[in-house]
Amino acid sequence: MRQLIQTVALGLLAGGVYALMASGLTLIFGVMNIVNVAQGAFLILSALFTYELWTRLGLDPILSIAVTTPVMFLVGWVVYRLFVARIRHAPASMSVLLTFALAITLEGAMGLVWKNVYRSVTPRYFASSFHAGSLFFPRAQVFAFLTALVVLAILYVLLTRTWTGRAIRASSANPQGAQLVGVSIGSVAAMTFAVGVATAGAGGSLLSILYTFFPASHYQWISRLLGIVVLGGMGSLPGAVIGALMLGVAETVTATYISIRWAVVVFYLVILIVLLIRPQGLMGVRLREDVAL
Amino acid sequence: MSAGRGKGLLRWAVLLAGLALLVAFPLVRREDAYHQTVLFLIFLFAVMSGGWNIISGFTGYVSLGQSAFLGIGAYTVALVALHVHVSPLFLIPLGGLAAAASAAVLGAVVMRTRGHSFVIITIAFLFLMQTVALNWRSVTHGSNGITLPLPRWNTDLGNMPFYYVMLGLMVLSVALSGWIRRTKFGMGLIAIREDEDKAAVIGVRTSVYKVLAFVASAVLIGIAGGVYGYFLTFIDPRGMFDILMSVQIVLAALLGGRGTIWGPVLGAFLLVPMNEITNNYFGGSPGERLFVFGLLLGAVVLFLPRGVIPTIRGWIDRIREARRPAPAPHPSATAASRTAGPGAAAALEEGAPLLEVDGLIKRFGGVVAVDQCSLFVRRGSITGLIGPNGSGKTTLFNLVSGMSRADRGTVRFDSRSIDRSPAWDRAYLGIGRTFQITRLFKHMSVLENVVAPLGRFAWAQLGADAVSGPEARRAQELLEFVGMLPLADQPAGRLSFGQQKLVELAQVLMLEPQLILLDEPAGGINPTLIQRITELIRELNRQGVTFVVVEHNMPLVLNLCDPILVLARGRCIARGSPETIQGDPAVLDAYLGEGWGRVEERLEV
Repeated sequence: MRQLIQTVALGLLAGGVYALMASGLTLIFGVMNIVNVAQGAFLILSALFTYELWTRLGLDPILSIAVTTPVMFLVGWVVYRLFVARIRHAPASMSVLLTFALAITLEGAMGLVWKNVYRSVTPRYFASSFHAGSLFFPRAQVFAFLTALVVLAILYVLLTRTWTGRAIRASSANPQGAQLVGVSIGSVAAMTFAVGVATAGAGGSLLSILYTFFPASHYQWISRLLGIVVLGGMGSLPGAVIGALMLGVAETVTATYISIRWAVVVFYLVILIVLLIRPQGLMGVRLREDVAL
Repeated sequence: MSAGRGKGLLRWAVLLAGLALLVAFPLVRREDAYHQTVLFLIFLFAVMSGGWNIISGFTGYVSLGQSAFLGIGAYTVALVALHVHVSPLFLIPLGGLAAAASAAVLGAVVMRTRGHSFVIITIAFLFLMQTVALNWRSVTHGSNGITLPLPRWNTDLGNMPFYYVMLGLMVLSVALSGWIRRTKFGMGLIAIREDEDKAAVIGVRTSVYKVLAFVASAVLIGIAGGVYGYFLTFIDPRGMFDILMSVQIVLAALLGGRGTIWGPVLGAFLLVPMNEITNNYFGGSPGERLFVFGLLLGAVVLFLPRGVIPTIRGWIDRIREARRPAPAPHPSATAASRTAGPGAAAALEEGAPLLEVDGLIKRFGGVVAVDQCSLFVRRGSITGLIGPNGSGKTTLFNLVSGMSRADRGTVRFDSRSIDRSPAWDRAYLGIGRTFQITRLFKHMSVLENVVAPLGRFAWAQLGADAVSGPEARRAQELLEFVGMLPLADQPAGRLSFGQQKLVELAQVLMLEPQLILLDEPAGGINPTLIQRITELIRELNRQGVTFVVVEHNMPLVLNLCDPILVLARGRCIARGSPETIQGDPAVLDAYLGEGWGRVEERLEV
């Protein structure tokens, strides 16, 4: 019993961080109807930036979020303007190929710069844990979880309380309607993509203390994120949070009770099963697709 | 005509000469192992991209996990070869079988989804297979991989057996693609790519078509996997279930031209040498290769999305087009031939309801588009369906034709409940529909559009020629009936909106329907064509076809339809002759949006 509680608690801690990582993917999909397969590569890129900041300047990885988030925002904005903007109106099959091309180009570039070596960031608090009775909570996990919550809360406020945020949500709900009331869909899309990549900036910094990573790890991460977003409902932010917590728990439970090597299979199976039984996910809505856009 | 035949002969001559060169190469350059291997890899990629092209090029479902079938084939053949003492080359059909079987299972699952879901599932499938191969150590030896015995043939032969087997597979792959493209099956796949809902409405049983396409796309890759594994004499999970392999498959097909028959082959001949150059001149570290292929894929998607062959073909067409004036459309109406189906003609007993809708509800999120709608349509009538914008007319058509499912309520056609029938079954029963904004397959010719509908499903029919014999003749008759025969060879996308409406009507008539749902037949077209369409509807109705017409052109509705049904807020609020409807205050209220409470009280049935 103790072991189960411990496992679930650790799963929830991981899930909170997953939620932050998946938020950008679902946001971009919601507004632009583009599956950004490069989101995993952006995560790893940010983790590598964090690694550099930590080894060269000794900057704490959690504090470095203040650097990686704006940097990745900029990266996202540039990538949008240079590439993604050109295929805004292309069919879904082409946009996914483009983001996939982005992912492997980034993977290749990271391999050239940082080599294919496993890395991780290990600040001093890394090894110790908080204890509550017989349960333990690794400090790194707790800090990462809390940071993820704070960033998600900021994102939430940004989306609900600012004009830009409302424009993003309006474009997601009804692009034509948003355009009619004066929202420039193009700039909103650029903003959304940049914000989405910026969340990968924060997520990547947290990733760097929790997991070892190397350029090709992005496949593993994008699989995780896709599983979460598919489960929660593509385009739904609350769905991504719920999906992340559920899969975080499912993954740790599998790792503890079956085998750590099979844990990642949870995400693949979830993708297959959810898309079969309830393609719109937990929180997604099936919209009518027959009306000409 | 003879010029066309001469061109056909020339093409065959070129192909045979090319094939002869490839056959002769290893015999002439026996010692040149390097170039033999390069050619072997080219054939391999041509086979894989050719397979990908069937599901993603013809059918429009992009797969990023196609290399999983290579791994499945390789592992199947290798595992069997460890236990039986036969050359693995004789076991390669098993690889194809395993790939086909897994594609059938996965296809039955994923083909229920649309759009983005399919790509995501194929990626997940590839990684799932890799993880299974890594972790199921008792069978696959995990990351240690499986070592196959070296070939036992005379070492003088070198890799020649591999070379010829793969060359044979490439020829097979091109033949398979070419055959599919010519058949009704292939035409159905293209229809699915262009507009899947529309394909279902005209009787293409999309679920079966898609699974078959997926199986067809996997089988040769599986066989090739068996050959490739034996060629390497070592297989491991990372090499066999490699996402980079999938990327190259996609890249080759895109480069050459997806949806074409020779595109994948051309793409393979471009891609593999590029791969070799990167390996030989740029060090070929994984990082460099990924970087180069990533950039290349991005560049092709952005700047050459159609691929080399279609782009060049487009140029040629444009040059030809400039030289030849487009044919003028036929202005005069031709006399009607017998166009309605025998079922329709036989069942001319006026009065019995052909279509009954009872308590139908359809919600989109919070919006109730159709709300407890009940109505019936008498056999042999031309029933008008009017109502303000947003009153649920088109949604009702979608529910009746099977394009979307009702949340509650029943639809009966010819006294049979059809609630559970998919769109194609409804087409087989005799329900046809047109669309407010026409939905022809824009890249197919007008004639192909009219031949595409299928009045029934039969396995044997899948392999039949797409445009041939009695069906082509009937399609020409129907085109003549609607006055569009002179445009039969034009791509449908070039026609004017009104002309497209006429072609869409001919397309629906191909199903020999008993009931036709017309969604704004007169919307957005000129008065002459409106006159023409009205005449056609009357003529078809005389032959026994029942119509439901949604239309905003009131003079037309009042003149053509009897009875008229009025829809408001998703309900049928009035029914009657044109005179009654014109005088009904409830109808005026519905259109002017006043006194809703009163109206509902008065009209509650």
